[in-house]
Amino acid sequence: MTATQRANRALTLGERAAFLAEKSKEVRSRVLSMIYTAKSGHPGGALSAADIVTALYFDILRVDPANPRWPDRDRFLLSKGHACPVLYTCLAMRGYFALEHLDTLRQFESILQGHPIRKTPGIDMTTGSLGHGLSIGLGMALDGKLRGKDYTVYVMLGDGEINEGHVWEAAMAATKYKTDNLIAFVDRNRLQMDGCCDDIMPMGDIAAKFKAFGWKTFEIDGHDMERILRTIEKARRVRGKPACIVANTVKGKGVSYMEDRFEWHGKCPDTDQLACAMREIWGEDS
Amino acid sequence: MRPNAMTPATVPTRRAFSERMAEYGAIDSDFVVFEADIGYSTFSHLFGDRYPERYFNMGIAEGNMVSAAAGMAADGRTAVASSYGVFITMRALESVRTFVCYPDLNVKFLSSHGGFTPSIDGVTHQATEDIANMTTLPNMKVLVPADTWAAKKLFDVAMQTPGPVFVRLMRDPILDLYEPGDSFRLGGSHVVIEGSDVTIATYGDILFPSIEAAQLLAAEGIRAEVLDLYSVKPFDREGLLKSLDKTGALVVAENHQKRNGLGYELSNFCLKNRVVPFDNLGLEDTFAESGSYGKLLEKYGLSKTCIAEAAKRLLRRA
Repeated sequence: MTATQRANRALTLGERAAFLAEKSKEVRSRVLSMIYTAKSGHPGGALSAADIVTALYFDILRVDPANPRWPDRDRFLLSKGHACPVLYTCLAMRGYFALEHLDTLRQFESILQGHPIRKTPGIDMTTGSLGHGLSIGLGMALDGKLRGKDYTVYVMLGDGEINEGHVWEAAMAATKYKTDNLIAFVDRNRLQMDGCCDDIMPMGDIAAKFKAFGWKTFEIDGHDMERILRTIEKARRVRGKPACIVANTVKGKGVSYMEDRFEWHGKCPDTDQLACAMREIWGEDS
Repeated sequence: MRPNAMTPATVPTRRAFSERMAEYGAIDSDFVVFEADIGYSTFSHLFGDRYPERYFNMGIAEGNMVSAAAGMAADGRTAVASSYGVFITMRALESVRTFVCYPDLNVKFLSSHGGFTPSIDGVTHQATEDIANMTTLPNMKVLVPADTWAAKKLFDVAMQTPGPVFVRLMRDPILDLYEPGDSFRLGGSHVVIEGSDVTIATYGDILFPSIEAAQLLAAEGIRAEVLDLYSVKPFDREGLLKSLDKTGALVVAENHQKRNGLGYELSNFCLKNRVVPFDNLGLEDTFAESGSYGKLLEKYGLSKTCIAEAAKRLLRRA
């Protein structure tokens, strides 16, 4: 446990949530700045996942930025890898690499590739081709079990991503091997690239599906920090089966003109839009 | 090696490889094996019987098996992912490419039923495009043992070689050529029969009809050199050039599509380095079919007679 985490543990849940809510503003604003600078990237799904990823990196994860491959670290896999600006931002803010790198997103020879790769400090595994992250996380969870390590593997899935049959292959195998050190999030923002999930491929009751595969499931508001923290702690106490947290979120959360608009899946804001987004995120008068 | 006194193999290469894998479990206590519900066919169960806690049957779901093996190997372990060639190299191809080869992880592939060696099973189970798919991937190395001893030694080579290694194995036992003492290495080859008129370069099961072809040719006064390119990627460039220095003609014979197989690779190499009369034998843009292995060798141009005829055509042209 890092010093920050020890300090955090002494705080009340409300204080931790308030700290994270404040952090998430910086995360969101840096996400949009880097996409603006790169003139390319995926803001919608980065913002819907931003609160959970912030909670992980600034409270939950047992990691050591000075030692990114520390064998006892918790693992995090952003299986919906296109949302990587939020991951890169959190890694930079935690000190895995200098903040200046955030301005190099998607550029030639940058350490921050268009989708996450293992060479970037703090990235546990290449992800972004959808549907593989849960399988990889399962492999890491099995590795931890076999080594007798107590780390937890967290995997963030998209609600469009789970159209991939591969996800459900991993879901059944995780139950077989009782990987209670594996926690999956489904970022349920209800939009995917071409439109509404329900129009493109209705997944119905996602929690019920995971439950039917033998998982312990939770369903939460993915922007409620207290709820996020409480639920992850509950999920970590589950024994004998993996846990899935279906997080109901809003695509583009925090920027009114992006919210719930599938067009912002992979679009870059212009200068005026960026300024407007910053005002909204920081709650300043326009 | 004993090309003139070969004995019938008692086990197929898939079994020999797995026997060695089971022994290796004691050498590396971190070593793990994944399989996809064909463990009694690939013989990976020989490992699983001894080390059940390090043996993962992921069910009939090869894509998940390979991605999970990548996750398992991400922090330093070596993992074998085992299945049939058609499933590893096609159904799980993206897992192999993006999550094993790109991060250059220590996942080795036990890939049985290479070429049309599962002859009677039909096309669904015949991996006749596996070499093309695997040699194309950066960081991937490709090995193909022809017999029992080669399968055991190439298991060791796969373990000693960093990063992903694909090992193509076959369904049925054929003959045993190599003997204890014959050594194998990444990028190596063996001159199985020495000759000076034409080089027959091959790998895996087609080594045997190639040897027989050389014997047929010898009866007609043509001295064919048979080169076992068991390391398909990287292949033995020096070994090939040395052989071509002697013979000046090359026939490549392989149980695979002609397109993008070893023959294509060697023709490209020869065009750049040593232009010689050249022919390659394999599937001519076609699928095979069910039938006995011997019938398929005849029909698809890989029998000893076909190989010998190709060599003679080449020498007439030269």
